Amino acid sequence: MGKRFHRLVLVALCTIPLASTLFAAQTPKSGGILNATLIESPPSFSLHEEATISTAWPMMSCYNNLVLFDPLKKQESLDTIIPELAEKWTLQDGGRSLVFFLRKDVKWHDGQPFTSKDVKHTFDTVREAPGITTKLRVNPRQLWYENVESIETPDALTVAFRLKRPQQSLLLMLAAGWSAIYPAHIPVSELRSKCVGTGPFKLKEYRQGELIEMVKNPDYFVKGRPYLDGIRYTIIKDRSTRYAALQAGRQDIPFIWEVARMPAEAAKRAVPKLNLIESSTNVNDHILVNLTKPMFKDPKMRLAITLAVDRQGYVQAGRQGAAILGGVLLPKPYGVWGLPEAEQKKIPGFGDPAKQKIEARKLLAELGYGPSKPLKITVSTRAIPIYVDIAGFIIDQFRQVGIEATLEQVETGVWHAKMTRREFDVAVNTTGIGPDDPDANLYENFKCNSPRNYSAYCSEEMDRLIEQQSQVLEREKRLRLVNEIDKRLQLEGARMLLGWSKEYVVLWPYVKNVVPHQSIYNYGRMQEVWLDK
Amino acid sequence: MLVYILQRLLTALVTLFGMSVLIFVLLRLVPGDIVDIIFASAGFVNPAAKVELARELGVDRPIAVQYIRWLKDVAKGDLGKSYRYDVPAWQIVKPRIPVTLELAVLAILIAVVSGVFTGVVSAARQDSALDYALRLLSLAGLSMPSFWLGMVIILFLVSWTGWIPALVYVSPREDLRAHLLQFIFPALAVGYRGSALIMRITRSSMLEVLREDYIRTARAKGQRERPVVFSHALRNAMLPVITVIGFEFAFMIGGLVVTETVFNVPGVARYLVDAILWRDYPVAQNLVMLIAVAVVLVNLMVDLLYGYLDPRIRYGSG
Amino acid sequence: MKAIRFFRRQPLGALGGLVILALVLTAVFADSLATHDPIRTDAEHTLAHPTRAHWLGTDNLGRDIYSRIVYGARVSLMVGLGATLLGAALGAVIGLLSGYVGGWLDLFAQRLMEILQGLPLLILALVMAAALKPSIENVIIAISVPIIPMAERVMRGSVLAIREFTYIESARALGVGHLAIAFRHILPNAIGPFIVLTTAQFGSAILVEAALSFLGLGVPEPWPSWGRMLSISAAEFAQKAPWVVIFPGAAISLVVFASNLLGDALRDTLDPRLRRAQHL
Repeated sequence: MGKRFHRLVLVALCTIPLASTLFAAQTPKSGGILNATLIESPPSFSLHEEATISTAWPMMSCYNNLVLFDPLKKQESLDTIIPELAEKWTLQDGGRSLVFFLRKDVKWHDGQPFTSKDVKHTFDTVREAPGITTKLRVNPRQLWYENVESIETPDALTVAFRLKRPQQSLLLMLAAGWSAIYPAHIPVSELRSKCVGTGPFKLKEYRQGELIEMVKNPDYFVKGRPYLDGIRYTIIKDRSTRYAALQAGRQDIPFIWEVARMPAEAAKRAVPKLNLIESSTNVNDHILVNLTKPMFKDPKMRLAITLAVDRQGYVQAGRQGAAILGGVLLPKPYGVWGLPEAEQKKIPGFGDPAKQKIEARKLLAELGYGPSKPLKITVSTRAIPIYVDIAGFIIDQFRQVGIEATLEQVETGVWHAKMTRREFDVAVNTTGIGPDDPDANLYENFKCNSPRNYSAYCSEEMDRLIEQQSQVLEREKRLRLVNEIDKRLQLEGARMLLGWSKEYVVLWPYVKNVVPHQSIYNYGRMQEVWLDK
Repeated sequence: MLVYILQRLLTALVTLFGMSVLIFVLLRLVPGDIVDIIFASAGFVNPAAKVELARELGVDRPIAVQYIRWLKDVAKGDLGKSYRYDVPAWQIVKPRIPVTLELAVLAILIAVVSGVFTGVVSAARQDSALDYALRLLSLAGLSMPSFWLGMVIILFLVSWTGWIPALVYVSPREDLRAHLLQFIFPALAVGYRGSALIMRITRSSMLEVLREDYIRTARAKGQRERPVVFSHALRNAMLPVITVIGFEFAFMIGGLVVTETVFNVPGVARYLVDAILWRDYPVAQNLVMLIAVAVVLVNLMVDLLYGYLDPRIRYGSG
Repeated sequence: MKAIRFFRRQPLGALGGLVILALVLTAVFADSLATHDPIRTDAEHTLAHPTRAHWLGTDNLGRDIYSRIVYGARVSLMVGLGATLLGAALGAVIGLLSGYVGGWLDLFAQRLMEILQGLPLLILALVMAAALKPSIENVIIAISVPIIPMAERVMRGSVLAIREFTYIESARALGVGHLAIAFRHILPNAIGPFIVLTTAQFGSAILVEAALSFLGLGVPEPWPSWGRMLSISAAEFAQKAPWVVIFPGAAISLVVFASNLLGDALRDTLDPRLRRAQHL
């Protein structure tokens, strides 16, 4: 009995150091500079005035939101929202008031105290509240706050959003990377070339076209964070150079929106210890048809166009396999709201490509087009190689059903203006949606009065349906309604979805807590990231 | 000589003025409302803000007025603010100039040294196998797209040595070796073409001069005079070469534009393309003017040098 | 007879000429020479190695590279020839008028030409291409602009050279119209240098088109263009599939090389004295 006891004690004593090394490996280490990558200079640093990931990715490290999606959880939803500047929040008045209780002792990077005034200022500016004097030069997400009646600040640490009607999604939109809190004491124009936030990192240096250097915020309100001493975002335009730098260890993490399977897999093959993480991006490619043009008003025409395109071929040739087929909302298992696969397969365009092309030809013939009188249209896209390639693929698909299409390459600078003015026939476009949320997606892209509704799709009934689903608080019921909307939008040809991009994030294993989310726009905070070196 | 100098200066000034008008007008012909472009990425624009911005930038005035305003600004030394990045254009352009300058100088050096050398060798061994080989090689240099040459160089380097192009500009003080590596390959890609041109001219000039001098001296003296004749011929042959360097500089800018893109060099030439594509007028027109000024200056210097070297002009009625 | 003598004395030039001829034939008979539809994508076979099915491999959309090079000859020929002829014609007209009439017109035209020449070729073409909508016609126009001053100089030189000849004066005295003089005396004198210029600029035009396409401003889809096959995105795929980049570039280099050979040979034949003046 004594001998056995002694042996047990011995074993126990031996496992303690083993266990402690195991646990020690999990304890985050402080220090080190993270070498991150950008593909271009951000057009500006102002998160509320931009819609590009080139701004969101670096600038998220500088700011905080009221609430945020948990950086360590891959799938974002209501269940993964965690507090940031708001410690807790409640829904009152039957869902018509969303009240946040803010942290105290939070300071802006310039030392000024953070109060509820800043929150009110930020969201009154974004929603363009009546009487607000601050004006954003561009305001991509004003529609997110259409339902907000007013924002009240009963005291310095409380903010109440008074809504016109209940809206479950508001919290989700506030958790998106875009919803940073701006300082009320600094004019927006100054926030374009520098950032002043409350976030874990401060701007140290910006060399236009070369790099953005962020340094740890020593007065950050979360003690012990951030772990990193700083982040260096190096701007590397050339993709092969980016991956070569990553492989060589000069970059620790890549740019998180490459959508390039080949170089990622090649990097992993070259350096097997790299981690390759596959995830979605919440960015989709789609075909827009200009519904203000008489020729596209006929549903048969729209049907023919969508039937012509082999979706699997688009995934293979256009995106080199880095895409998933889906409808208006991000499909499962990545997203929460997408149509079930069986349902999506029944949508015209997602079936058997050969059969669909025959049907497309028939439809065109019914409309009076044929070999002697081919349909001639222009396909417009951005003058960026990947989009030109995708458009090239689609033009070929059109040719196979007898549609003669020529490509119009539009420079990125003029693209949105051109789309807004509806100067196109058919366009191949890409849209990213911040959070995987029906309100954010449907309001921005499909409501009658939305500026980003480039195809000019307008249906009063659909507007009503969209409003309706927004008010439903019960999840299952809302999902059914959203799926119904998804299907109808696709059948009516409001937007012909091609696919949702997949990202292949290749990073060094010593980089901890960079967890790619299903959406690229929401995990740039970098507060929890540490280097195991 | 003085008259010659003044003539050249005046011509240069008129040319510059003409170029400025041309550039200004051409850039504004490029479709795309500048106001639209500033609000490019998000598409959701405050109409009042658009009008305000148009007034602020002065783009709502007639083009002639805008032109005069630009000239006035340049005279004051104000090169305008980048539309895209909202910072002074000079701030963006300034750090890039030495990069391109260095690349250009390196390329010219490579071109002149290798071009003259091969030209002389080729002329000395006229019609030999070596001559033909060198001529074909130089002709190849004039025939290849320089960016393709750059791409092929990178392909070889990457697959054989695992080399990657530099990420950020490495100054010579930081790391001389990395800096040289960063610049040598694009300089080679650009310089090859220049060397081809210079080789051809050196060769034919040498042949011309050699023929005359050689015949004369061959009649008067013997073979031993050959080295002297040779160096004399070389000196005379250099005159047209110098003229060509002027032309070549202008041509090389084009090569720099594409080569900087391929090799990821953060220079002025590459940035020009970006500026044009983004309708960043202040930056684009100032950059083009910069290039035009550089070209005119180089040509002016070449003309002056030529004038100094050519005895007819130096001591002539000028 | 002249042609045969040319072939014998300038074998390299003749070779160049043959290659250009091959280019023209390829362009004309592209339909028969190509093995695939150059625009047809094939999602199953992207970036394929050169094989029996695809002689030069496929690109990232699965399009057959050999067929794209064959059809691309059309674009290169059209742009090269179009830009050169347009530029030469415009330059010739300006040079003729400017040299013949002289005076203020000449002064003005000379300054204009200097301005056009002052800007680097590519920059000028770049700005022009950006100013005009991307289309094959506009690319031709854009590339022709830098050629105008060169053609103008040649023509003006020819005009000035013979303007003072006595037989011109006597012709004028006899009442021969200016136009007749231009056609019967001046133009034939200029043909030689013009041919040399055109051949030299043909290659240059193709190179500029390639550079414009590389930067995204050249001939747009769906015309297969050698230059566009060398775009920056192609460079990315080149790591895995170098043939995507090597073959189109080789095609461009070959054609330009041939035109340079031919140009050199023609220059040597037509006017040995020109060897000194026209090294560009």
